[in-house]
Amino acid sequence: MDISKLHPQLLRVLALLFVLVLVVLFFSVVVDNYLNARLFNRVSTSVAIIAMIAVGQTLVVLTRNIDLSVGSIVGFTAYFVGQLLADHGDLHPLLAVLAAVGVGGVLGAFNGVLVAYGRVPAIIVTLGTLALFRTMLVEYADAGSITTIMLPPWLLELPRTNIFSIGRLDFRLTVGIALVVVLIFHLMLTRLRFGRRLYAVGSNPEAAVVAGIPSQHVVFFAFVLCGALAGLAGFMFLAKFGNITVVAGLGLELRSVAAVVVGGVNIFGGSGTIFGVLLGAVLVDLIDNSLIRWAAISEFWRDALLGMLILLAVATDTVVLRQLNRLRRHRATKLTDQSTEPAAESRQ
Amino acid sequence: MKTPVMEMKSVSKHFAMTAALSKVSLALYPGEVHALVGENGAGKSTLIKIMTGIHRATEGEILLDGDPVTIQNTQQAQALGVAAIYQEPMVFPDLDVAENIFISHRDLGPFVKWRDMYDNARDIIRTLGVTLDVDIPASGLTLAEQQTVEIARAISLKVRVLIMDEPTASLSAHEVTQLMNVVRTLREQGVAILYISHRLEEVFEIADRVTVLRDGQHISTNPIADVTSDGLIRDMVGREIDDFFGKRTKRTRQDVLLSVRGLTKENVFTDINFDIHRGEVLCFAGLIGARRTDVGLALFGIEPADRGEVSFEGQPVEITTPEQAIALGIAYSSEDRRKLGLAMSMSITANASLPTLRKYLSGLGLIHRSDESAMAESYRQKLNIRTPSIHTTVGTLSGGNQQKVMLSKWLNVKPKLLIFDEPTRGIDVGAKAEVHQIVNELAAEGVAVIVISSDLPEVLAMADRILVMREGQQMGIFDAEDATQENIMSLATGQTTLAAAG
Amino acid sequence: MNLVRAAAAKLRSWEGFLLLILIITVIGNAIQSPVFLTVGNQINLFQLSIEKIIVALMMTLIIINAEIDLSVASMMGLSACAFGWLFLHGIPVPLAMIAAILVGTLGGAFNAFWITRVGIPSLVVTLAMLIGFRGLARVLVEDRGITGFPEWFDAMGQQPIIGPFPLALLIFFALLILLIVVLHFSAFGRYVYVIGNNAQMARYSGVDILRVKSILFIASGTVAALAGLLFAARVGAVRGDVALGFELDIITIVLLGGVSIFGGSGSIFGVLLSILIVLNLRNGMALANITGHLQTGVIGSLLILSVLIPNIRQRIRDALERYQAAR
Repeated sequence: MDISKLHPQLLRVLALLFVLVLVVLFFSVVVDNYLNARLFNRVSTSVAIIAMIAVGQTLVVLTRNIDLSVGSIVGFTAYFVGQLLADHGDLHPLLAVLAAVGVGGVLGAFNGVLVAYGRVPAIIVTLGTLALFRTMLVEYADAGSITTIMLPPWLLELPRTNIFSIGRLDFRLTVGIALVVVLIFHLMLTRLRFGRRLYAVGSNPEAAVVAGIPSQHVVFFAFVLCGALAGLAGFMFLAKFGNITVVAGLGLELRSVAAVVVGGVNIFGGSGTIFGVLLGAVLVDLIDNSLIRWAAISEFWRDALLGMLILLAVATDTVVLRQLNRLRRHRATKLTDQSTEPAAESRQ
Repeated sequence: MKTPVMEMKSVSKHFAMTAALSKVSLALYPGEVHALVGENGAGKSTLIKIMTGIHRATEGEILLDGDPVTIQNTQQAQALGVAAIYQEPMVFPDLDVAENIFISHRDLGPFVKWRDMYDNARDIIRTLGVTLDVDIPASGLTLAEQQTVEIARAISLKVRVLIMDEPTASLSAHEVTQLMNVVRTLREQGVAILYISHRLEEVFEIADRVTVLRDGQHISTNPIADVTSDGLIRDMVGREIDDFFGKRTKRTRQDVLLSVRGLTKENVFTDINFDIHRGEVLCFAGLIGARRTDVGLALFGIEPADRGEVSFEGQPVEITTPEQAIALGIAYSSEDRRKLGLAMSMSITANASLPTLRKYLSGLGLIHRSDESAMAESYRQKLNIRTPSIHTTVGTLSGGNQQKVMLSKWLNVKPKLLIFDEPTRGIDVGAKAEVHQIVNELAAEGVAVIVISSDLPEVLAMADRILVMREGQQMGIFDAEDATQENIMSLATGQTTLAAAG
Repeated sequence: MNLVRAAAAKLRSWEGFLLLILIITVIGNAIQSPVFLTVGNQINLFQLSIEKIIVALMMTLIIINAEIDLSVASMMGLSACAFGWLFLHGIPVPLAMIAAILVGTLGGAFNAFWITRVGIPSLVVTLAMLIGFRGLARVLVEDRGITGFPEWFDAMGQQPIIGPFPLALLIFFALLILLIVVLHFSAFGRYVYVIGNNAQMARYSGVDILRVKSILFIASGTVAALAGLLFAARVGAVRGDVALGFELDIITIVLLGGVSIFGGSGSIFGVLLSILIVLNLRNGMALANITGHLQTGVIGSLLILSVLIPNIRQRIRDALERYQAAR
């Protein structure tokens, strides 16, 4: 089989699946009773949150930008909605979700305006709003915190609600919601013209302008959606933990970037799939959760390993892509060489 | 006769003081391939940029179907059915062929109907008479295939006027044949095509009419049957260049400085052989895409060759980095001043001293500012760089003065061999003569100079010998006295071999 | 004559703008508090952020070179934790200090390897190492706090050693002078600017780009490690979250100082002004009872504004030109 003919994204998803299986096999050898229902339940509920943030991050990274403020957006919306529900316990659940998504979207729009229309590099804007949104949270919280007793019972029930169970494997409602979100955005990126334009803008910004694609609007909406998804994740975060302090969501921006990059999205935009990102999020979370249970090594290794994982993922991409392109070019020149010869003969 | 789809009526364009285009008229009819030829700087690109809305004409009017229009930007040009395809295709490498064709459509609704899109893409590709899978990503396509994608995009947008700017410059012979077929198909479909090319054999093969521009002026428009290759070349070259530059005086030949044997870089150039003597000016002539610059870059160590022998001052050398080349006494002045030649936002001094900064260091590695400035000042006087001060930012200087700053930078290396790529591109006539004078003086001092130039009169005026290249092949070497514009052109365009041209 | 005109142009430039802000801040603070202008308070002001501003000096060179090092704060944490770990394991303190700084050098070399040899952009490499170095720091100290360093070590961070100046401040001044000389008067500094301006052109002029970049990242790691040690000495304790999030402040200071995020322009003087502004602003806000978190928010906004304002100014200038050309 000619590897260079396989779609690079398919190759990437297969490689990720392979690594996932390796990780599972490795830990089931070194950790007693590793593969059990608890592992599944724990990883699935925690991926449910990070996957949504990572999907939002994907939209932004596809356009050759980055959003480092998502952790702060998650924290702010979690606290904001928590306070809202503490004050109005009878608020309809859907309205609470909408409030979370709306607040996240507004914060995302703030980033989007500055990046798309203010032409400030995304890394600067979001590094700034990473601090700014966190400050807003601290000011808003005014040294307080949200605790479970302030929240309505339906919210606290939510993370424990199952859709169905197989034996002791529970499929939680939150996991279901996350999967629906993943599916919706997968469809958006593959079926909607807007989704395809995200790829176009990141793939070749100059060509996008020449081809008449409204690049600025596209980038703006990528940030809005990313913020909205972070808002939704903030709501899930609130439901899962119940106790929200001013440090809620700290560091999620880096985990989401990690999931995105490991999941095969090109950090320079233009390529990547939602399923790859989902697998990336699972892999990152699985390693986290497994290290905790591996007695031989301190669980504190997880961040050090995560850093290396990101580096290796990008390095593999860079090197493999370079090789693939070389192969292709080689193939291309061989093809034209072959076809040139008869033409040259016929001319003589 | 039919009304033209697009007509330019005595269009002029001035940039600051210089006229890039003066009172040029041109009419494009549906189902016609109209070739536009002329030397570099004749005004072809300016004309295209006006037609596609990148520039706006200073004077004159543009008619579409007989009605006057103003074209403000590229989107508007697109909406009017005017599209252009350049040497370097603009595709989205991560998207597949079909998406590349349809991504900018605004009227297809919010959903991508993949099957319809592939079908439509296949239809368009088929009408072009080429075979191309529509579901592979554009990053894997050859340059020619990428061009096909761009043409398909133009067709899908219902193009009526298609401008093709040197579309074959980087294509192989077979790919050119393919492209020619595509152009013929388009003509049959009633598209008006403005075809710009340096390769006269293509013009004769494909064009219905041909227009010659020279120095921003319209020289002639004729049906292709009424012109000959010699006639066209005469129209393009036109002016009596000899009054202008003055012919080189023949010098006695000194010893060989650099000798190159069988220099080859896979897929770029093959089997380049030449000697250059001290005090000699050797010009590399050829069309865009002849790979002359690549040979220069290989000798300078930027993109080393794969095979072949190079010896310098009698010693075999293998040059793999620019540092090494500079240490040997080889300098390369790039054709692309903006990207590869100068740091535009830095001062004249800082630019001039860059390759030789080590000469101006004290023991502690600190820069001797006064020595450095003295050097820059001496070149300012010697090369007559017109600037208020040597601390001026290079970006604010005129093209000619920038070129002189670049020369200072390389002359200060005290090179034994100077590779001078397009020494007078984009600079005015006066500065041109000065640059030529400098090259003459260098040669008189015993420096060997390789001049890579697409400007034939310049080549003839400066060269002791001329090496002609075409598509990575060395076509032959002339002595200056045997060379004429006509025989260089016919070698460079592949119309004759050296034997026939000689 | 030329000098006068140059000075006038400077005043209208970003540096002039910074100077104006600085004067306003200082006057505002002086009115608010009578002790503000005392030497003690001014030294105290430096002392509170001394590690950040030391790293910011080195970061200036990196950003002028059109690169970025997001891993500096994590490296500060790692070197402090490495020091604490070695100390816990009975290594003599001077040896542990040298080893901690070597960790920085190695970490910088590690970054440099991926950036120059593998060809991954520094943004990605140092983002990964922002996580990675911090992770290693956590591996070393887990969730402990390490204290009980010898008195002379703590004193090094807290007591004045020459006149009223503590060691860290002296190191800051030494580094400031060194980097002014390197960046503005040496060949290396010239290469840093040229590469930041146009890396391809620098290569075509025989400049060894990879060498310059490698040196910068190795130096950045080393300086960050040194700053981490100073932090440990000043606080007298080491924890896994030493210097957490400092990269934001550091980069803000540099960009606010007029260094372009796209490289090629900026100066140490601008960054020095920006350091003074940020320190005074924070001090002023503290005097006005504004909390640390809100201060961070203000700094974050300043970061965005420092790029947004020049952008808007440029666009207005372009629009004016177009308007004049149209007439």
